[in-house]
Amino acid sequence: MSEVYEGYRRPDDLGTPAIESDVSITLMLDGKKVSVPEGTTVIRAAALAGINIPRLCATDSLEPFGSCRLCLVEIEGAKGLPASCTTEAQDGMKVTTQNNRLADVRRNIMELYISDHPLDCLTCPTNGDCELQDMAGAVGLRDVRYGYAGENHLEAEKDESNPYFTFDPSKCIVCSRCVRACEEVQGTFALTIDGRGFDSKVVASEDQPFLDSECVSCGACVQACPTASLTENSLINKGQPEHTVITTCGYCGVGCSFRAEMKGSEVVRMLPNKDGKANHGHSCVKGRFAFGYATHKDRITTPMIRESIHDSWQEVSWDKAIKFAADKLKGIQAKYGRGSIGGITSSRCSNEETYLVQKMVRAAFGNNNVDTCARVCHSPTGYGLKSTLGESAGTQAFDSVLHSDVIVVIGANPTEAHPVFASQMKRRLREGANLIIVDPRSIDLVRSPHVEADYHLQLSPGTNVALINAMAHVVLSEGLEAKAYIKDRCELDAYEDWRSFILDEKNSPESMESATGVPAEDVRGAARLYATAPNGAIYYGLGVSEHSQGSTMVMGIANLAMATGNLGREGVGVNPLRGQNNVQGACDMGSFPHELPGYRHISDTSTRTLFEKEWGVELMPDPGYRIPNMFDAAVAGQFKGMYVQGEDLAQSDPDTHHVTAALSSLECMIVQDLFLNETAKFAHVFLPGSSFLEKNGTFTNAERRISPVRKVMEPLAGYEDWEVTQALSNAMGYPMNYGHASEIMDEIARLTPTFEGVSYEKLDRLGTIQWPCNDEAVEGTSTMHVDEFVRGKGLFRLTPYIETDERTTRKYPLLLTTGRILSQYNVGAQTRRTENMQWHDEDIIEIHPHDAEQRGIEHGDWVGLKSRAGDTVLRADITERVQPGVVYTTFHHPESGANVVTTDNSDWATNCPEYKVTAVQACKVTQLSEWQEKFEEFTEEQLELLRKAKTPAQATSV
Amino acid sequence: MEPTKLVRMVNQIAANWDCGPDQAKAVAGVADHLRRFWSPPMFDEIARYIATGDADLSPIAERALTQLIEERQVTG
Repeated sequence: MSEVYEGYRRPDDLGTPAIESDVSITLMLDGKKVSVPEGTTVIRAAALAGINIPRLCATDSLEPFGSCRLCLVEIEGAKGLPASCTTEAQDGMKVTTQNNRLADVRRNIMELYISDHPLDCLTCPTNGDCELQDMAGAVGLRDVRYGYAGENHLEAEKDESNPYFTFDPSKCIVCSRCVRACEEVQGTFALTIDGRGFDSKVVASEDQPFLDSECVSCGACVQACPTASLTENSLINKGQPEHTVITTCGYCGVGCSFRAEMKGSEVVRMLPNKDGKANHGHSCVKGRFAFGYATHKDRITTPMIRESIHDSWQEVSWDKAIKFAADKLKGIQAKYGRGSIGGITSSRCSNEETYLVQKMVRAAFGNNNVDTCARVCHSPTGYGLKSTLGESAGTQAFDSVLHSDVIVVIGANPTEAHPVFASQMKRRLREGANLIIVDPRSIDLVRSPHVEADYHLQLSPGTNVALINAMAHVVLSEGLEAKAYIKDRCELDAYEDWRSFILDEKNSPESMESATGVPAEDVRGAARLYATAPNGAIYYGLGVSEHSQGSTMVMGIANLAMATGNLGREGVGVNPLRGQNNVQGACDMGSFPHELPGYRHISDTSTRTLFEKEWGVELMPDPGYRIPNMFDAAVAGQFKGMYVQGEDLAQSDPDTHHVTAALSSLECMIVQDLFLNETAKFAHVFLPGSSFLEKNGTFTNAERRISPVRKVMEPLAGYEDWEVTQALSNAMGYPMNYGHASEIMDEIARLTPTFEGVSYEKLDRLGTIQWPCNDEAVEGTSTMHVDEFVRGKGLFRLTPYIETDERTTRKYPLLLTTGRILSQYNVGAQTRRTENMQWHDEDIIEIHPHDAEQRGIEHGDWVGLKSRAGDTVLRADITERVQPGVVYTTFHHPESGANVVTTDNSDWATNCPEYKVTAVQACKVTQLSEWQEKFEEFTEEQLELLRKAKTPAQATSV
Repeated sequence: MEPTKLVRMVNQIAANWDCGPDQAKAVAGVADHLRRFWSPPMFDEIARYIATGDADLSPIAERALTQLIEERQVTG
């Protein structure tokens, strides 16, 4: 395996960030000629030449600061001893980095530092990985003449409030690296240096404990700290790692690269990889710290079976569980027909796993009843972008945002759901880019430290299409469209149709104001700002897709981007922010019922023939059931068996009453997962899954970047997930014989033009690859649609605004919309089993003070939330984040029952549920809902059945 | 499957295609959409329901489904 470093070593650090310049300058460093890009600092130039100048406050993830004075050098013709970190290298400059004079000064500086630093190196958690210790050695410090009896900070109290790291001020050297990391890298500005001179100290917010402060626990400060002042608790408890494996985070669609720093098979810490092309060495609280779920006591590592969901589980061997599952499925097919079973894969699974599930369904089950949880998040993105641009994917790399002049964020909350990309976006905003936010709710980006939106178009939930049409109306009616671009790159007949449609007065901002609730003048201002920007970029999330017109809105966004020429180069684009780690990949891998890998329709004979030849089996030419169709067919008694890998339908899908009715009606439900999740409580077979730390594979993030997932520990249950699917397929009678996940990727590459050039060998060599990767783009593709759209000419699609059926009535006068929170991930199965619970241990309902007052609701009260689908009870948070008439909650905790309330309304094109709009009533209550009481009973019953599991057999090979 | 739900779905599809003067284009759009995304049992179910005369379909949805049902009868 590549990218495994035996023996621990700290990542290389060149002192200051890289500078991009076409101009090269040459200087002399200790008599050595060195050429670097113009603008490079002396310390970095030296590091590039292999000369390590001592330093403490300088690091290449932060701008130079020049406070520690340890990196000073002699420069011929210059006065004094300039700091090499803040001094730009000049052509012809002659620099001396080491001589007796410099050594004396550096030693004196270190002596001062150490005079106020504990001398407990042998018992210090960072012993062996401490820059202060290294520098003491580098400068040859042998004595501290000042003694230690004077005033010092050695008794300063530790802050252990944060569950993941400890702040020990006695070891702080006030280098400001943590403060600068919080500002420059994370963009939160939670830390500062309080006081002056000797009293200077690092404080969080207004000198609060870290946990109570504005700190978001991204870990950037811990990573930046050159001493043991900020240290991961896992490192304090376990000691230094001894080897490192480069892998990819299993959380959101940013797909951060991490160094899994290991001690044997135990993860000591996850450190963001500086070479990671999606995250550039940054992380969030989930990827950085919340990996403990992988070894949580709730993990189920022995296969289990039972005849009825009211029976006790029985622990069995892998062989027996697989045979039991296959016999059940075959029996159902014999009785009810070939189409009576299906499979569901998850965006939490790898590409290889997802590919194999859809292959098994199509080849072994003999139907196309396969779907993925992207059905309930970004399926409208697939439909909308394929229709207009020709490819079901985002158009840019994340780095593109650094070239954007106007950033439009629609229905996304990056600081909560895509925090590492949000930090990159905020960096660009601090540099002066304009910001337009389209969201019913005041998300943090509307106004946060050094970021303020130029426009917050706070529309009413469900009116996205009205708003995007109104923006397009402004562009066309005011002549702001990119005429030459449209003429050159788009289908003109379709454009003229769209132009006539949009210019209809009914689409004007003034006409749409009554629907959207957004002042027309704001819409006009925002549209002008976007259309006239040199580079305008749109980023959107599930606030776009999870609507009855989700697909229409995606097409509306693509229309607007085409009309303004904002596609096909850096800094622009249409960028869906994917919720989970492998949403893009799951879609790419053919897990939708109508498509084979690479978004090719199952009815296309030539594509089907290609797969039939490779797989040696005839494929059905018609689309299979989507997830909601499966539920409907199950309730109708036509669908009886289901294999679910890594997805929790019972918690994540809308209209819980309907979902659980469907799941209860199945004769065989097979769940492959880490935990007994909500869906598994309806299962007859439980196949233990493996976490991202226990298997090989790849994830594809929101920028089409395929990144390697590497096994850092053996699977706790003995098998990687793809091996289990393979075993089930074999038992079903369709043989699979892969020896390694890489062989699955090789097959994907053989069959999928956009993956043609992808292999594990290339991934090891390049680190990551953005598809398409083929003969035309050997190392992948950063920006799509550069010279022409994938479909040839861009297609403007008509986007009529149709009001959703979920509208307020006297009975249901409020609109519920849903979202995510930083510390929790999706259904929470992973993050609820970590210390992240300290930030969010229950879902709450946000309600505007006006609506709360009308109902006599006070902060913290229990609120009954009722829709036509069902009702639940949540605790109230009274806040002006939501507008009057709108309430908001998250769905990270199953007992909250947020999806008991959401309805079966869905996107017209894809059946993506309308999670973002549900008409509800809210009132003060004093007890849980009936559903919640039944949920508690059912959960207790299922946990008791799990406790009764017997172990009659040893696991054997699959 | 619940036929009234299928009717609701196809009417929703039709409403989103019914946005220009060319009704034939809208019918073709709906038909193509159903062809590409609906599973055969869903067609069978709605075809049975249409035969009862109880299906409350919009004009465009009805024309598209009539076309598809005929097409499926021809191709078997």
